[in-house]
Amino acid sequence: MSSPLAVEVRALSKTYEVHERPPGLAAALRSVFRRKYKTIHAVSDLSFTVEPGERVGFLGPNGAGKTTTLKMLAGLLHPTAGEARIAGYVPRRREAAFLKSITLVMGQKQQLLWDLPPADTFTMNRAIYEVSDADFAETLGELTELLDLGAIMKKPTRQLSLGERMKCELAAALLHRPQLLFLDEPTIGLDVAMQLTVREFIRQYNERRGATVLLTSHYMDDVASLCPRVVVIDQGRLRYDGDLPSLVRSIQPDKRVALRFSGSADREAVARAGTIVDFDAAHAVIQIPRVDLREAVGHLLGLSFVADLTIEDPPLEEVMRELFSASKPAEADADAGTQADSA
Amino acid sequence: MLRYLRLLALGLRISVTVGMQYRWNFVIDGVVSILWTGLGLIPLTIAFHARPAIHGWTFATALVVVGWFSLLKGILDGAINPSLLTVVDQIRQGTLDFVLLKPADAQFLVSTARFEPWKALDGLAAIGIFVWAFRLLGRAPGALDVLGSLALLACATLVLYSIWILVIAAAFWVVRLDNLAYLFSSVFDFARWPVSVFRGVLAIVFTFVIPLGIMTTYPAEALLGTLSLRTALLSTVGALGFALISRAVWSRAIGRYTSASS
Repeated sequence: MSSPLAVEVRALSKTYEVHERPPGLAAALRSVFRRKYKTIHAVSDLSFTVEPGERVGFLGPNGAGKTTTLKMLAGLLHPTAGEARIAGYVPRRREAAFLKSITLVMGQKQQLLWDLPPADTFTMNRAIYEVSDADFAETLGELTELLDLGAIMKKPTRQLSLGERMKCELAAALLHRPQLLFLDEPTIGLDVAMQLTVREFIRQYNERRGATVLLTSHYMDDVASLCPRVVVIDQGRLRYDGDLPSLVRSIQPDKRVALRFSGSADREAVARAGTIVDFDAAHAVIQIPRVDLREAVGHLLGLSFVADLTIEDPPLEEVMRELFSASKPAEADADAGTQADSA
Repeated sequence: MLRYLRLLALGLRISVTVGMQYRWNFVIDGVVSILWTGLGLIPLTIAFHARPAIHGWTFATALVVVGWFSLLKGILDGAINPSLLTVVDQIRQGTLDFVLLKPADAQFLVSTARFEPWKALDGLAAIGIFVWAFRLLGRAPGALDVLGSLALLACATLVLYSIWILVIAAAFWVVRLDNLAYLFSSVFDFARWPVSVFRGVLAIVFTFVIPLGIMTTYPAEALLGTLSLRTALLSTVGALGFALISRAVWSRAIGRYTSASS
């Protein structure tokens, strides 16, 4: 292949020394003179690659090392061991050409100048990234249209709502047309409508510009709808790399069947099809192993009080919870990494 | 180079725009700092009240040092402090990330992030003091002396800025350094006195560690026409040395940056 990989990560590790002390004044006093340091393995021996134009979701519980990994890839943090390459560049060298080809959006931090309208931040970024007048006008026009920035661009940032600010953050981060987007919780705190807007925008940007997207999000819907591929890390280690449906199947081999009743339902009869997750007078949800699905659905449709039936995957949140709770005992044996498989 | 000048102009423009939004705050700031300049003259008048001269400095010539001190304080509070105190916050909150992601020199970006244009009033106060001092002396400064003192002002600013960068670089290690910044401001206050009045350890500290001489005394001597060429050259070399050291320490500090988690 002529063009290099968008992201190439080999045996990447990052450890921190943090000083820890028990709560209380006495302990605080002791820690002034003698500090106990603890080594935190934020990321351990992480390897994966991403092709140009891919959209990859980064999943993991809080503290899994997602943000640390993104920051190493963006050149903000220096890896303790291993190496990362972004389109052939070594991120920690922070070469101008590299920095001009990437962007990092953090849902919890902002780069917009607080006291001034976002338009001023755009002007500043334009100068820093050396964007030509023509390109700036074109990109800004495009972003204004996609994100509906027209009116909000000229209001001081401090007067914008969280959603409006996020839209402007995205615009500020994309004015230089980066080819690689690191998005760290870009939809955090946004309402559902705004989440959809942001999500749709990311997809369109990816399709229009062929840009690579690496996304972390706590909203599983973001990942499910945006990312054909997911990388799961837990306690700094790679747990899974592949498509989402296969992950769901491997963790949670059951399907969910939602029923709507007309008339009084017979719980016994429903229970014969599978495990009842939820049951009330009008609805029920039952869990059925995939292999038994055909037979169970036949049985359920045969029940006179079943008015409607839908088959779904279990909610992603639940699947993830299961995946990560399974990793806790495994960690004691220090073999959490063995469950990783490259799909 | 041209690009950085443009960025500097843009940074200034943005600061002026912000300044306009909070103009009363800045006007009050300006008035307060002029008041402080006035109050700062009191110890000087007391010190020189009974004696005609201290280590060769008379009230009028010491006044010139105070003038430079006032000017430099304006530069510190108007052009250096606002940006660099912002960095400390950025380091603590992790928003320095955005600076480090930019394809431009990070030290330049953090140093030009904020200006407080109203602090230019300090400069006016300084000119007032110079006029007063030279009226007492009964003469005007020579044109060459003015030029020389302006060149030394550049050195003074460079030293001040470099020391600040060193202080800020410490923030990468200790994360919070309000005290360090406060300590520096207090020490800087000594620069209102001619450096030759200090003796012993203080003389050594104020010559080599925090070169108050380069900051205010030598520019004052240049303006008075009493500075030797040797001292002028040493000042320049010293200032460049400080700049190089601070640059090296800054580069190392960036590598230490741990960011803050999201």
